[in-house]
Amino acid sequence: MKKIIILILVISFAGINLGFGQGQKPSDLKFPPLKFEPPDPAVYRIQLANGLRAYIKEDRSLPLVNIAALVNFGNICVPKDRTGLGAVMGDTLIKGGTKTRDGSVIEDRIDFLGGSLSFSVEERTSTLSLFIRSQDLDEGLTLFFDVLMNPEFREDPLKLSKARLIEQLRQANDQPSTILSREYEKLLYGDMSLTWQPTKATFESVTSANLRAAHQSYFFPKNIILAASGDFNKAALTKKINAIIGSWKNTRMTFPALPQKFPELEPGVYFVQKKINQGYISLGNLGIEDTNPDYFAVQVMNFILGGGSFTSRITSKVRSDEGLAYNTGSRFTYRWGFPGTFSGYVQTKSSTAIYAISLILKEFERIRKEPVSDEEMDTALNYYLESFPDFFSSPQTTMANFATLEMQGKPMDYYKTYRDKFRSVTKEKVLEVAQKYIHPEKAAIMIVGDWEPCNQGSDKAPGPLDKLGKVHRINLRDPLTGEEIKTP
Amino acid sequence: MKRAFLFLAVFLGLISLLATAELKLDVKEHVLPNGMKILMIEMPGVPRTVCHIYYKVGSINEYPGITGIAHVHEHMMFKGTKTIGITDYEADDALSRKINELMDKIYREKYWKADGGDKGKTAEWQKEVDGLAQQEKKYIIKDELWELYMKNGGTGLNASTSNEVTGYYVTLPSNKIELQMLLESDRMQNAYFREFYSEKDVVMEERRLSENRPGYLFDEQVNAAFYSASPYHWDVVGWMDDLKKFTEEDMRAFHDRYYVPNNAVAIYVGEINPESIISLAEKYFGRIPKGPDVEPIRTYEPEQNCEKRLYGEGPAPTSIQMMFHTPPDGHPDKAPLAVLADVLGSGGGRFFMRGGMGGGTGRLYKILVKEKELAVNVSAFSRPQWYVGLFRFSATPRIDKGVEPEVLEKEIWAEVEKIKKDGVTEEEIQKAKNRSEAMFLRSLQSSMGLAMQVGRADLNRGWKSLVTDLEDIKKVTNEDVKRVAAKYFVKDNSLTAIYTRKMGR
Repeated sequence: MKKIIILILVISFAGINLGFGQGQKPSDLKFPPLKFEPPDPAVYRIQLANGLRAYIKEDRSLPLVNIAALVNFGNICVPKDRTGLGAVMGDTLIKGGTKTRDGSVIEDRIDFLGGSLSFSVEERTSTLSLFIRSQDLDEGLTLFFDVLMNPEFREDPLKLSKARLIEQLRQANDQPSTILSREYEKLLYGDMSLTWQPTKATFESVTSANLRAAHQSYFFPKNIILAASGDFNKAALTKKINAIIGSWKNTRMTFPALPQKFPELEPGVYFVQKKINQGYISLGNLGIEDTNPDYFAVQVMNFILGGGSFTSRITSKVRSDEGLAYNTGSRFTYRWGFPGTFSGYVQTKSSTAIYAISLILKEFERIRKEPVSDEEMDTALNYYLESFPDFFSSPQTTMANFATLEMQGKPMDYYKTYRDKFRSVTKEKVLEVAQKYIHPEKAAIMIVGDWEPCNQGSDKAPGPLDKLGKVHRINLRDPLTGEEIKTP
Repeated sequence: MKRAFLFLAVFLGLISLLATAELKLDVKEHVLPNGMKILMIEMPGVPRTVCHIYYKVGSINEYPGITGIAHVHEHMMFKGTKTIGITDYEADDALSRKINELMDKIYREKYWKADGGDKGKTAEWQKEVDGLAQQEKKYIIKDELWELYMKNGGTGLNASTSNEVTGYYVTLPSNKIELQMLLESDRMQNAYFREFYSEKDVVMEERRLSENRPGYLFDEQVNAAFYSASPYHWDVVGWMDDLKKFTEEDMRAFHDRYYVPNNAVAIYVGEINPESIISLAEKYFGRIPKGPDVEPIRTYEPEQNCEKRLYGEGPAPTSIQMMFHTPPDGHPDKAPLAVLADVLGSGGGRFFMRGGMGGGTGRLYKILVKEKELAVNVSAFSRPQWYVGLFRFSATPRIDKGVEPEVLEKEIWAEVEKIKKDGVTEEEIQKAKNRSEAMFLRSLQSSMGLAMQVGRADLNRGWKSLVTDLEDIKKVTNEDVKRVAAKYFVKDNSLTAIYTRKMGR
């Protein structure tokens, strides 16, 4: 580390000694290369008792400790008739108490110490996170592992949690952006656990026994990876954890199969009526997994197309040139175990919805037809190469990144080879992946907005919307019952 | 067993506090001859440096007619300078001037005349403007500043405008800090507002995005009703009328007044060498002449002297907000109010959890959500701003149990009255103190969060206030809590806003 500091010192003074004039340009600045090698995961990896894996880094700069347990359990594991079990577990793993502690005792104690203990169930994984001052580490560890190993999901907190979640269901159709992302995924993935929505009935069907069973199936040492950093002695921490988890048994688990086939989609416009003054729009198709060898080229291609904010084509055209939108661009999302999505997106006033869509489609076509410019390649590649150290911006981020890599079964030299993989992306490869993964002629164009003004369009791009393809009207569902709401 | 545990809990808590009694914030400070302040925090780790610059200007520096201009200005700062974003400055400037003259004619016709003026004429002028804008494109290098930052590995690239402060952010490789100095000093001195009128369209889209957020328009009215006189009356995004009507000339005047080195602080956090940063700052920012002193805002909030109530309905969840005027940042009552917010509902002062954690340990949550099952959520929040303060309770009733918002209002008042009389428990106060300290420590972990806190605090009462505020919290007693509750939680100092869901499901 010291070496790096000295290097910077020299670099900075070198800049000054050159004595640039007042009218200088950024291109006049010379930056000597800055060497950075990513940390090696093997240095931090520890195998704890019963096969619990961990990435642990001492960091004595502040009297604090961060610990996270990454669990191979997500909403996607939940059967259809109990959709929402993940949300209930997210809310009650702590509040529901453990075999020996009331949930409110745990919360009160952590809060009193000024710490925080939180749990969330995401799409594919779950995370329990503890933040605590190092002087309270022993107590924090005890509570952290008690919650992780012995949750009881007691009746009263469970009942309250379900009632609150059901109340919150009422908001499911409030935000146009929430509707758009939910319906877009439903369209691309069809009927699968990712797109199932909880209702009053499915929330109500979740019992304490279901939660305990789910916990028992997935929360065992070999199915969890820890990430920890902070003010502790690594050997001492390891010893403490091993003492707590000594009796924690592994079980056998079969992860539910994830679908690999998705519905053939009829291209065209999918319209959801909502009385608002803008159209919220996503258009595109299914994407790829980030384990795909084309991933790095796709990242570069999308950076140029619409992922690199103002330096990207879509943002430049739709926002800067035309002033049509505040938010616009394109994105690839990635999921673990099956493909993510690709979408161009924009939110624009209703009358310019068609115009904005046509501009985005033109950019889809363009990146498939012509090679990108040298400057565009240069900017995209430099961005990825130069910002690379951000993956290691804090000890806890670094440990969590390593834990995630291992959890997802990615090669542990991922970061070591990361920059070389970007360096090997060529303009030809960018063109190839654009043609391979972007399909404007087959695109699903989803709009959440007010039908009349969206369909009417503007002078530059008059309606009707079926100029963009066959129009399908989508009715929303009553979030409490799951029944379709018939629009008049 | 339970009792022993509790005792241990209190004991451990007290020990914790003593053990870290001395909290330090290691900030290096340098003031340039033109009044600009440079702050530096060394944070070893990876060779990256958070580079932020903050200006003491926000929506409170606007007035009716130009509301929203601070935020539009923030957008315009990405449109280039005399050398950035342009290939031929003179040619572009000539076109820009013509566009501005024509737009002035259009605005006079459209907005100065009650009937909207001669539509034929304005359409003709608009056509001319479009033609000129088209010609201008050949000189413009789109978003060059953004691209320069990105291709040099800039992340966290952004800007934001609040009521009081506007910030410009980038995180760069540590050997490229000079790039930020060059670009930021250039746009402080030489900002050029090309494409001003199309960028206003972008901001109007941004406003529409807010309008489509259920409940936004009601909240905007609540805010406007709560702050009747001070410039906190309008939202940062501004009123749509003003966004439509202010001009490029308004923008230039705003820039010249507030974007001066003596109204700015730059902060660098990460792997840095302070001496080299100072030298670079002297070279780049030091070349800009000091501007006239900037006067603080004049209009604070007058005493309310009446109870205010607002009712609204629409597509957002049914809710109640109870708001009370409190003193601004720096007032001795800030600390007891922060403790009170923590005791009642989590959230509150600067170092507490933000973002409506709704935590299960606040008093109101325990009573209204858990025991009585009347609310889905409830929170209490103390926000001491630079010139005016606000304490707010928010709650969402249990619709499934037929609870009316007014029931929650009564319950919250009952709890407030109890505190006025009996105060809170020693353990509650101690918890709030422990939390404030731990949250402060926690904030020191993130270089970007640290830059934001320190930079902003410095523009108001100096960065050291972050530490003295914490010391003030440690001194809070139960008597202080009772006193501030009695002083501020009175009807004539309040606004109650009740919103009922009516559209949609």
